[in-house]
Amino acid sequence: MRILIVDDSRAMRMIVARTLRMAGYDEHELVEAVDGLHALEVVAQEPPDVVLCDWNMPQMSGLELLTALRSAGWRIPFGFVTSEASPQMRTAALEAGAMFLVAKPFTPEDFQDALDPVLA
Amino acid sequence: MTYIPSADDLEVITREVWTSFLDGDPSGLIAASGDMPADKITGCVYLSGAYTGSIMLQCSPPAARDAAAALFSMAPGAVTQTEVVDALGEIANMVGGNVKSMLPGPSALSLPSVVQGQLSLPGTRMVREVQLSWRAEPLFVSLWQQAS
Repeated sequence: MRILIVDDSRAMRMIVARTLRMAGYDEHELVEAVDGLHALEVVAQEPPDVVLCDWNMPQMSGLELLTALRSAGWRIPFGFVTSEASPQMRTAALEAGAMFLVAKPFTPEDFQDALDPVLA
Repeated sequence: MTYIPSADDLEVITREVWTSFLDGDPSGLIAASGDMPADKITGCVYLSGAYTGSIMLQCSPPAARDAAAALFSMAPGAVTQTEVVDALGEIANMVGGNVKSMLPGPSALSLPSVVQGQLSLPGTRMVREVQLSWRAEPLFVSLWQQAS
C-alpha cells in the first residue's frame, strides 16, 4: 500500500511517518507532498491508496485538495491530520468527502483506528 | 457568555503537545515564572471570525533549538534556523488549533509566523498567559484578543 502524507511542515511529515511506523504500517510505502498542489502532481504520477492531509497549507489547502481530487474523479480514501478538530471541522471534512479526521497531537492508536478500516 | 480558555487550558494543551511529540518526560515541563530573553523565538497563529486574536508561543533560543531537535529527531548541535522556524511554527499551529477548538466559532486559523524577538500585535490585548519552564529554559504561551 502507498500512503501519501501532505503537510507543509517537514517536521510534521516526519512525525506522521514516524507514528505510522510505530502504528505498524512500516511495510507500507510512505510518500510526501509539501502542499495541495504538490499532492495533485504526486497523485497524477502514481496514485496512492490513501491520503493523509493537513488542513491549513499555503498554495492549496487540504479542503481544496480534497475538492480538486473529487472533482477530477479520484476516489482515493482521504483523511485529515490537523490541529483543528472541532465538531464543525469534522462535519466540514466529512461533508467534503473525507473518511476521517485525526487530531494533532496524535498517537499510533489514533492512526490505527482511522486507517485499519481503510487499508483492510 | 463567551468562554475564553483559561491559563490552565493553555497549560494542558501545551503539555499534551510537548509530551506527545517533544518530551515524553512530563516532569521536564513545569510551571515557573521567569524572564524571557530579548532574543526569544516567537511563534504565532492568528484567528479571525467569531473570535479575532492570536495564540503566541515564546521561548528562549536554547529551548527553540531543543524543541526542533526533538521534533526532527536530530542532535541539537545540528539544528539550523530552517528547522527552528518549521518546528516553532508547527508547535504554534498545534497549540493554536487546539485553543481554537475551545473558542466560539466559526473562525479561520492562519498559517504560523515565526520571528526572533517580540512580535507586535496592534489592536489586541493579552487575555491569558501561562509561564512554563522546559529544561530550565522559559516557555510562555499566551492568548490575545482584538480590542473591542
